[in-house]
Amino acid sequence: MESSERKLTGVTIKEAASKGENKAEAKVKREAKAKSKPLQEFQEATQTLANPALQDWKKQGGKVIGCYCSYVPEEVITAAGFVPFRMRGTGSTSTELADACLSSINCSFSRHSLDMGLRGEYSFLDGVVWVNSCDHVRRIYDHWKRKIVTPYLHFLSLPKKTTDVQVGWYRDEITTFKESLEKHFGTPITEERLWEAIRLHNETRRLQRQLYELRKRKSPPITGAETLAVMVAGSAMPREHYNQLLKKMLDELGRTDGHANYRARLMLIGGILDDPAYIEVIESQGGLVVTDSLCYGSRIMWKDVNEKASDAITALARYYIADRPHCPRMFDRQLDRSAFVMDMIRQFKVDGVISERLMFCDNWTGEAFMVGEDLKEKGIPYIRLDREYILTGIGQLRTRIQAFLETMER
Amino acid sequence: MDKKEITQKGLGLERYYQEREWFNFLCQMLAQDPSETSQLSKEITEITVSRYDEIIRCAEEGKPFIMGYFCAAPEIYEALDLPWYMIMATPFLAASAPYLLEDIDAAERMGLGTDWCTACRLTLYYIESGLTPKPNALIALIHPCDAATMLHQAVYRNKRWRDVPIFAMDPPYFEDQRGIDYYAGELKRMVAFLEEHTGRKLDIDRLREICLESNKQYELWLEYAQLRRAVPCPHGWAVGGPQCFAITQVFQAGRPRGTAWMRKLVDHTEKMVKEKKGPVAKERIRYFWFDLLPFGWVFEFLPWLEEEWGAVMVMDMFGYTPYTLIDTRNEDTMLKGIAKRNLYESPMVRQARGIADYFASDITRVVKDYKIDCVIWPGHMGHKDGSASTGIMREVCRDLGVPYIHIGLDLFDKRYTTPEQCKDKISQFFTAMGLG
Amino acid sequence: MIVGGCDVGSATGKAVVMKDSTIASYTIIPSTTRPEVTARVAMDEAIKRSGLSSLGDLQYIVGTGYGRLKVPFANENISEITCHARGAYWLLPTVRTVLDIGGQDCKAMSLDDKGKVIDFVLNDKCAAGTGRFFEAMARVLDCGLEGLSSLSLQSKSPATITSQCSVFAESEVITLVNEGTELVDIAAGLHNAIANRLHSMLRRIGLVEDVALTGGCAKNEGLVKALEEKLGVSVRKLPEDPQIVGAIGAALIAKERLSRQS
Repeated sequence: MESSERKLTGVTIKEAASKGENKAEAKVKREAKAKSKPLQEFQEATQTLANPALQDWKKQGGKVIGCYCSYVPEEVITAAGFVPFRMRGTGSTSTELADACLSSINCSFSRHSLDMGLRGEYSFLDGVVWVNSCDHVRRIYDHWKRKIVTPYLHFLSLPKKTTDVQVGWYRDEITTFKESLEKHFGTPITEERLWEAIRLHNETRRLQRQLYELRKRKSPPITGAETLAVMVAGSAMPREHYNQLLKKMLDELGRTDGHANYRARLMLIGGILDDPAYIEVIESQGGLVVTDSLCYGSRIMWKDVNEKASDAITALARYYIADRPHCPRMFDRQLDRSAFVMDMIRQFKVDGVISERLMFCDNWTGEAFMVGEDLKEKGIPYIRLDREYILTGIGQLRTRIQAFLETMER
Repeated sequence: MDKKEITQKGLGLERYYQEREWFNFLCQMLAQDPSETSQLSKEITEITVSRYDEIIRCAEEGKPFIMGYFCAAPEIYEALDLPWYMIMATPFLAASAPYLLEDIDAAERMGLGTDWCTACRLTLYYIESGLTPKPNALIALIHPCDAATMLHQAVYRNKRWRDVPIFAMDPPYFEDQRGIDYYAGELKRMVAFLEEHTGRKLDIDRLREICLESNKQYELWLEYAQLRRAVPCPHGWAVGGPQCFAITQVFQAGRPRGTAWMRKLVDHTEKMVKEKKGPVAKERIRYFWFDLLPFGWVFEFLPWLEEEWGAVMVMDMFGYTPYTLIDTRNEDTMLKGIAKRNLYESPMVRQARGIADYFASDITRVVKDYKIDCVIWPGHMGHKDGSASTGIMREVCRDLGVPYIHIGLDLFDKRYTTPEQCKDKISQFFTAMGLG
Repeated sequence: MIVGGCDVGSATGKAVVMKDSTIASYTIIPSTTRPEVTARVAMDEAIKRSGLSSLGDLQYIVGTGYGRLKVPFANENISEITCHARGAYWLLPTVRTVLDIGGQDCKAMSLDDKGKVIDFVLNDKCAAGTGRFFEAMARVLDCGLEGLSSLSLQSKSPATITSQCSVFAESEVITLVNEGTELVDIAAGLHNAIANRLHSMLRRIGLVEDVALTGGCAKNEGLVKALEEKLGVSVRKLPEDPQIVGAIGAALIAKERLSRQS
């Protein structure tokens, strides 16, 4: 029936979709264009954990520090001369080992990722850093520290409010983190190196924002699935290399024809979606995802760290806690988050909003509901989706998206 | 005002009236049984009624009252002389009522989803449907879990409650002096917030009185907890643990009537221990129930454990009391003591809010002190972090040589795992482990 | 205008031929293991019954249902949500809530007064509330689907069945049988359990009258009765076989597409 097994290349999905497509179905024509090399590299990076660029880095003696959650201050890791790597469970096929630690009411991301950890698939990491992002992921730490031998583990206490008091608290947390990195690895992290790192990461954010700007067009040159690949890749390889590639890609995109034949412009909101294949399924029904509020999307690059601040760590604390578009775990910013979504809808001329969440995720249950109330009030078409971390139920996803798009027409 | 008027005025007191009636009725029943246990239960029921009275009166008469939590410093509410209640109390109110399941379904219809804590969903539903009285100010809880944070964001957003001033104390993740100092700072800010929105002023001497009285209550609780170590255990699920929690942290925090009740409890229990009496004729299994009681269907399960298996709940999460006394020397020491107690010693908050170590160490302590035969992690569907710690709990039990079972249930919705299914699971567990 | 609608479900395949605004013919056949075969067989049969000679006589064909991607002769495929709503609205313009109870999934759709779907909820993750559930129960009680329905109508005190999962409900039913509970009461209990499930689903999108059922299970009188009791409203009967409503909707959309082209 449905071609169900998703291979890591993602090609199987496309094949399945086109086999099932009849002549009238394809609404988004994918131009037969020479595949962009940077885009290819980005897409490959989303299909494995350690991509070739990262492996090269390791071969040269470089160090990689895993980060659970976008609130880990990556700049500190970069300033230490290491590569920050956002933790994913890509390629995981089972959760047997993790199921003995976690339970069936824990989200599939936490179970897959812990399982990979227990299986030794993160052995390329020189350390792992957490914040108390959510009830599921924070428990990965508790099992990891008992069961997996990793040279360096650290946990930052992330506030749940965003006032100046909390900026001050997180400033101290970041300082402690910096000092512990220095102590463990013997690398000094000077103020100057922090500023260099901040500038480097801000450069990434600027480039990524440029990419999104292109999607404001009537015919965006890049799909939502491709964009996610670009964003996820940014979290998985040496930053300078990534920035170069992205610059090259932006050049190429400037000369590319856009996708014109779509049924609707969509915005995707949610948590740690890191699998472009999910968006491919959504876009296979003819909608084009033109913007988002995701953990690997606009929230991590819409704002910059203030390069004019007087000290780097305070600048970082202020960026992560107060300035950056917030995540639902922050208690005092829900109205801002809804406003951010509304603003995106306006800027990107969005026709409909899709929210996704992993089963058992309380944070996104709440947010999908709360943002939904605002969308409903404004009469903006909206659908809420639940998913598992490893893509399944493609036929069911397709049906819902197709029906959603159909309700938006007329 | 008659009830109809009150309903029309939208004061949200219907459930409270219903519950007060029910508890009054319970008082009358208990009054007929002269046994000391029943008299203790009767008094705590009267205390419960008086708390309903207080909130109802404030709502009816437009007097200030606030919404707070047992772990967000009841000592301070009492010192400010502010009647307070918990919005999460409303789901517990419905717990023994026939409308509970309907209310849960209604919550689902609101579009709240079904895989987060039923208590939180119900709370939001009760607010949305105008079945919770609106306070002058709201102290929101943003720990120990994601659900609490989500709930209070949604409460704040709710159109009815958009005008209620809201404040939440930000919790540190780790347990150290820095965390305590930080939280004490948050407490100070909470005091300022409450003063601003209720017109009350915190008097340090009054705070000292409350803390001293509260300390007395905890000392008595420690005595009581010692007595429960006896074999046979003098009380089961029906007396003690959660009642002590209700007295010391909810209904009578720092109030002499609460202290008197604790004193009576201790006296009575000393007698029970001397006479080697307990809730069952023959105590066969001593278990540690590591959660709240299954309020939605408690009568369909816990009494059966006693009758069928001679299984006595020697200790539960809310009866566990590793509390330290508050140093009442000055404002600073008091706030820090209050911070420490509310963050690190309050039940459930203690285990769930930070790293998983307390899940392990509390089990170790309880198993040893109380001669526990088996540990039950009920696995309430809302405790995501707790169930995520199941592997750790299982291992610590293995090291202690004590059987461990993770049931997986909903403390409120008996349809999730039915009482019959739970009985089956437990029976198989007891049999397989050679217990009872 | 001569158009066709083809609804390829998991249990049955349905095809409708419409000539202008009337239904010329329809078929309902059991599904084969290959959706493209089911589609072809159903469509061919419907064409024959309508007095036409071949597929080529149809000017536009829309496919829908579980197997809609495998209807090679369709010009287009549309989700079953849209098709069931469209078909129901055409048959009963006062309908505002449509409940489709199919072989393997069930869905509820909320319509505005122009028949447009404004909200929907889909249960395609478990058998509760679907034909599969009733088949399983009919097997356990050894009474056939018709039998299950008519038994339930005779009950005066339905048993309470708490499980909505068909696997657990089976063991509950067996227990009840062993305890000597009357078959009529068990049958009624089963229908009530499913009515509860469907009721939750319906309430999620808001129940607005008129309510209509589509899909094979709509023919189950026992379920209709249980639903009416649970919902507190009467379920309006559609003037055609409820099982073909999806295919009708598909044909209507085919007609629309055709009009737009000319």
